[in-house]
Amino acid sequence: MPVSERVAMVSNGKDSMAKEVKLELKERWPQGVRLPVLLTFEHQSGEAAPNRPGDRPNANYYGQMEYGARRGIWHILELLERFGIRGTFFVSGQTAEKFPDAVRAAHEAGHEIAGMGYAFEKVRTASREREQAIVRRTVKVLSETSGAAIKGWRVPDYRISPQTFDVLAAEGFRWDSTMLNDDLPYRLDCQHGALIEIPFTTSTTDKSYVAFPYPMRGGPSGMASAWHNEFDVLYAESDRVPRFFMLSLTTWASGRPTPLRMLRKFLERITAHNDIKFARCSDFAEWCDGAAVSNT
Amino acid sequence: MWKEVPLKKPGSWPPGVRLPIIISVHHQSEEACVMLPDGQVDPRDYYERQYGGRRGAWRLLEIMSKHNVLGTWIICGATCEKYPDVSREVIKLGHSIAGHGYAHEAPSDLLPHQELEVMRKTVRVFEDMMGHHLRGWRTCAKSHVTLDLLLEHFDFQWDASVWNDDLPYLIEGYGRSFMEVPFSVYSDAAYSKAAGNLQQINRFNTWEWNTPDVVAQIMRDQFDALYERGAEQAVLMPMTVHDFITGRPSRAKLFDDFLTYAKQHEGVVFTTHDEVRKWWLANYQRDGLHGA
Repeated sequence: MPVSERVAMVSNGKDSMAKEVKLELKERWPQGVRLPVLLTFEHQSGEAAPNRPGDRPNANYYGQMEYGARRGIWHILELLERFGIRGTFFVSGQTAEKFPDAVRAAHEAGHEIAGMGYAFEKVRTASREREQAIVRRTVKVLSETSGAAIKGWRVPDYRISPQTFDVLAAEGFRWDSTMLNDDLPYRLDCQHGALIEIPFTTSTTDKSYVAFPYPMRGGPSGMASAWHNEFDVLYAESDRVPRFFMLSLTTWASGRPTPLRMLRKFLERITAHNDIKFARCSDFAEWCDGAAVSNT
Repeated sequence: MWKEVPLKKPGSWPPGVRLPIIISVHHQSEEACVMLPDGQVDPRDYYERQYGGRRGAWRLLEIMSKHNVLGTWIICGATCEKYPDVSREVIKLGHSIAGHGYAHEAPSDLLPHQELEVMRKTVRVFEDMMGHHLRGWRTCAKSHVTLDLLLEHFDFQWDASVWNDDLPYLIEGYGRSFMEVPFSVYSDAAYSKAAGNLQQINRFNTWEWNTPDVVAQIMRDQFDALYERGAEQAVLMPMTVHDFITGRPSRAKLFDDFLTYAKQHEGVVFTTHDEVRKWWLANYQRDGLHGA
């Protein structure tokens, strides 16, 4: 079956492997929260670097991303600590093996550790066995290095396979954050369990704005402006309808001093609102739980 | 075969209209998604674009309603089938609609009979599902026979597929005529998100080239230039936005801000292709060129 039909079936809820179930969310989240804010960071150290033509490794990209594990994550942890914010880190298994201290420190500081592949594997056309093996290996490495229980996942290149969600459900995952198609979370009912899907957006992520190659014209301040706009719109809408704000950054792009300063200023501004609440993805999934209604 | 009908002297807009702006909202959601080298749909791009149908279109509708402005919605047949509530609301509110292929096919890659079938299928979807007879069309990628097919086989009143002029013009052929309303490259897609076939799988992101602020500045630049020129001669501002691009909160804010900015100017009118066609037809009637 071509992917076009498969993806359509997922979105139409006809795929036996993952059926989308609408959540009955209220305009106010638990504890009277108006707008949950999820700060998330993809954490890789070079394994995500796209190869050069002919599948040759690209040392430039590799180094750019290694920055995240060597320096970026530490800067980010310090910033989050200063604000007393707990966020979520999507970590590659290999990065946790190569740089275990930062992942352990993140967990000990109360941040959530989620999986994002072992070596940034692309699973779109992978077999179930392979996908399952990647998930298991990653979970093992992450929990051994950090001591965290791994409950969340993001598919590294955001390209799911037809069985991705069912594999995660079968492995006991609680939530996933790979989809790019909505403003609100929803539940995915799979053959082997259910997941809360927390959709995010690449329109505010840092990679295309400030990373090599092809950084966007407008640079870090243009990126920050997109964050502020995104927040302002969602905050305004959350007066009438349920909304949440999720920023998905990378330790290797946003961990650098210039974007990091933008992030600090952004946090200074939004923390002036006392009706927003920072949440880890698991906390957020917890809030969504029980809100599911059948859409059939 | 068709020919353009030139006006005898320069055309003008109704009194008080200095700058008509047609916002074209492309509501095609996932139909235009990228195909991967193995011939399969890119699931990431598919879902990222799906945002347009699920959320983006509604946000844009809401902003336009807030500002009390109408525009033209450029809708694929399949998108209408998947998200009928959006099309229904668009019709109810009085926006114009242009058919935009069934599944965002590129007619430049089709044979004429295939292109015609795409047109027929799209027209049928709107007839059957919406009870709406399409009056306008925008191609996804014009072929050399697009205008012939539209004239020969349908009764469209206008087409908005061509990038070759500042102002509308009438074309006649096959015993029929319609208004061609050209548009331009000043689009959120051209300036912020790479077109599907240019997108490389190894790039980090689908959001490329310009941060939203830069895109907003370009839109304002276009506005300022045309508003200035509008004091001297008839001008028309086509403005293209996409549900999955400008419908995202961070970009919707700038769209909202643009509407606020533009509305502060005397003589700016947000209008539709249907209305522009009517206005411009009056110039032909003035010249005695059109059977009215």
